[in-house]
Amino acid sequence: MAERFDLVVIGAGPAGLTAAIYAARARLRTIVLDEGLPGGQVKTTHKVSNYPGFPEDVKGTELAALFAKQAERFGARIARAIEITDMDLKSPEKRFVLDEEEEIVAPAVIVATGAKPRALGIPGETDFRGRGLSYCATCDGAYFDGKDIHVIGGGNSAVEESLFLTQFARSVTIIHQFDQFQAEAATAKEALENPKIKVLWSHEPRAFLGTSNVERLRVEDLKTHETKELATDGVFVFVGMVPRTELLKGVLPLDKWGCVETDDSMATAIPGLYAAGDIRAKKFRQITTAVADGTIAALAVQRFLRESRTG
Amino acid sequence: MSANVREIQGSDYDREVTSAATPVVLDFFSTECPPCEALAPKYEAVADQFTGRVTFLKIFRQGNRELAARLGVSGSPTLVFFKNGQEQGQRLTGEIKRSEIKAAVEALLG
Repeated sequence: MAERFDLVVIGAGPAGLTAAIYAARARLRTIVLDEGLPGGQVKTTHKVSNYPGFPEDVKGTELAALFAKQAERFGARIARAIEITDMDLKSPEKRFVLDEEEEIVAPAVIVATGAKPRALGIPGETDFRGRGLSYCATCDGAYFDGKDIHVIGGGNSAVEESLFLTQFARSVTIIHQFDQFQAEAATAKEALENPKIKVLWSHEPRAFLGTSNVERLRVEDLKTHETKELATDGVFVFVGMVPRTELLKGVLPLDKWGCVETDDSMATAIPGLYAAGDIRAKKFRQITTAVADGTIAALAVQRFLRESRTG
Repeated sequence: MSANVREIQGSDYDREVTSAATPVVLDFFSTECPPCEALAPKYEAVADQFTGRVTFLKIFRQGNRELAARLGVSGSPTLVFFKNGQEQGQRLTGEIKRSEIKAAVEALLG
């Protein structure tokens, strides 16, 4: 027998958990499904400085845990480390099979699966993942105690995580395609003043090289088009994010970046199916904007359920 | 923790892994590692499905740096698969799905 909910939220990041807080407070039977632990990208961010209500920096893991605790306080169930092994999002009654065992159904679904780190798509990347090549500084930074490492990227994440990595590494060389950082001015300044951080401007990575682990990084000087190989103990990649919309392929049309189009109330083209957070086609992706999306989606779901009952 | 997942130390490696009669999966984990915490319940669930046929071990990387370095493990979590004492197949690392672990273990059993 399938367990019945009013709302299934896919993804326990800021958007999904905020939706769960609002839905659970409105007495909707709410379940949040996540492949891992709650928190989304927030949980692997070492500190958050721009989330209102936290005048001192808050650790990403702490903020993530607080979001989850608040949702659970109002009765939302968070299903951790589960995998959706089958589902139907198109029918009026949406159906999910979890880990090939448990079946759940609900009339409304909010997809808030967020985004994941973008891969560079260059030779060696797949082979060296976990062998000196990482996309998560909080997870793997401590492996590089006293080492000389490289960071690819120049946006907020790349520069902030480089600063975090200086706690462990002897040196951090940032490789960035432009002549200046795209990160916020305050963060960029801090990095440029840090004695452990060096920057290789106007360069792009071309290949990861080594025997069993990454040993060298091939880079191209974008101005002279010369390539050279840099010795390295490890490489961290922070070159933006791509939406996690694997679940929606063949269900909804996606835009050219793979994002989901919604209206102002986060509704997709399918009745009862909503999208919130980083997977939505939109201009800005912040914790605060994800939280706003989650709020709107949960309020829209309440209205949808009321109307479908009376209608 | 499931009775089917045991934690070992680097000094146990030869006895528990390279000399083991049954195939072995070894999980290198770290603290302050959300994907490691997320992996734990999935790893245990898969371990329960292969009781007696495959040995599921875990090892704390920070306490066993030498072994991690010797095997070239530089990210957490990393799952390494062994059969007859030899490493087999692809390692799994980072965000790992339950179905991926299961598929890798089935491949290990051949």
